[in-house]
Amino acid sequence: MFRSTSGTRRVVLVLCALLLSLVFVLPKQSRTLLQTIGKPLADIVALPLELLSATDRRFEAVWARYVALRKVQEENEQLRREIEFLRGQAADLREMAAANQRLGELLKFQGKTPSQTVAARVIGRDATNWYQGVVLDKGEQDGIRAEMGVLTLSGAVGRVVKTRASTSVVLLITDPNNAVTSLIQRTRDEGIIEGTFDGKARMKYIPVLSTVRVGDPVVTSGLTGGFPRGVPVGTITSIQKDEGGLFQTAEVQPEVDFTKLEEVLVVTVPRGTEEPQAASPGEKKKP
Amino acid sequence: MKPVLYLGLAVGLIPVQTTVLEHLSLAGVRPDLCLIAASLIGFFGGPTDGVLMGALLGFEQDLFSAGDAWVNAVTKALFGLSGGLVGRYVARVTPATVAPLLVGLSACSGLAFLLAGAGGQDTLTAVRSVLLPQALLDGLIGVVAYSLLAERFKRDDSLV
Repeated sequence: MFRSTSGTRRVVLVLCALLLSLVFVLPKQSRTLLQTIGKPLADIVALPLELLSATDRRFEAVWARYVALRKVQEENEQLRREIEFLRGQAADLREMAAANQRLGELLKFQGKTPSQTVAARVIGRDATNWYQGVVLDKGEQDGIRAEMGVLTLSGAVGRVVKTRASTSVVLLITDPNNAVTSLIQRTRDEGIIEGTFDGKARMKYIPVLSTVRVGDPVVTSGLTGGFPRGVPVGTITSIQKDEGGLFQTAEVQPEVDFTKLEEVLVVTVPRGTEEPQAASPGEKKKP
Repeated sequence: MKPVLYLGLAVGLIPVQTTVLEHLSLAGVRPDLCLIAASLIGFFGGPTDGVLMGALLGFEQDLFSAGDAWVNAVTKALFGLSGGLVGRYVARVTPATVAPLLVGLSACSGLAFLLAGAGGQDTLTAVRSVLLPQALLDGLIGVVAYSLLAERFKRDDSLV
């Protein structure tokens, strides 16, 4: 840029030495002089400095925001995981609370009923579509035998038809092959409850002179079927009376919701007697 | 491969049939996985495998059903045999041949149950509400299963 000769260099060196000695000899004056000389230079340098500084600040801000966002994102993910975990725990707790409540009610009911019962859990449905049945997690080793009645808090469920060591199969009262002797609570007329394919039940052999009405509750008679007397079966929803027939037939809406069966009681001794019940001779043997 | 597959089916199919299928039922009717499995085992594994596995699966099904303790064992063994004979003697097996076969077998299974007294006195309702929907469902699911298995076993040409 500048081609400095040895003479010019000497001049510059001398000027610098003079300036330096001036600073030491006359400090105040020299400071004012230096400020005056340095001002324009400072102004010139200030421009890119500010520019760079602004860029740096912006970059820093962006970086800080990026880092912060990353932290927030991580926090978000962690919080989301925690929420999911807590939601799962809350669902588990709700399920446990519901199960506790159900089991508590079942235990209370078990305490009140004069019959001896065994509580069991429903672990599956019938393996075919042809029978309306459920599989229980209790079997022969828990004292469960075929022909024993099964009920819930709401009412009669069905009867045990097959038992293994640790499981048993129950035929629901809504199966067409099931038959339980019952009576209409108000009129005390007896009949036989059979299942239908649409998940309801039908009460057959109601005497033709019976004053049965829609809405009448039906309960077990306690004579057959492994049930104690007075267990609710359902409510009459319609009545058919054949011309010249000896009996009436009524459609019965079961008390128990069979789609939501979870825990049941198996009646091992229906009336609190010591001997376990024998197979009921009046019951249909099929299947 | 074959023993593991058969063992898996023998151990796992009934739990699936009695528990999981409850959530997948259409209008209260579930497909009969044991029937489909027995037929397809016969198809791909031959009549002997079909009969033996059909009898085993059917027997297990009888254990967890309220019905008589033979209907499933006998019918499933026969369906395994039928699947085996079709697989052996029908020259070109396609989903179009499998569908009517499974629908027919399922309908025969339903008739066997009706003859065994499963339908009670209301036979027509039983046919309408159980036999026909189950036959169609079995046919549909069987065809899907056949298509998947045919792809998988095309190279091996057998279950071995």
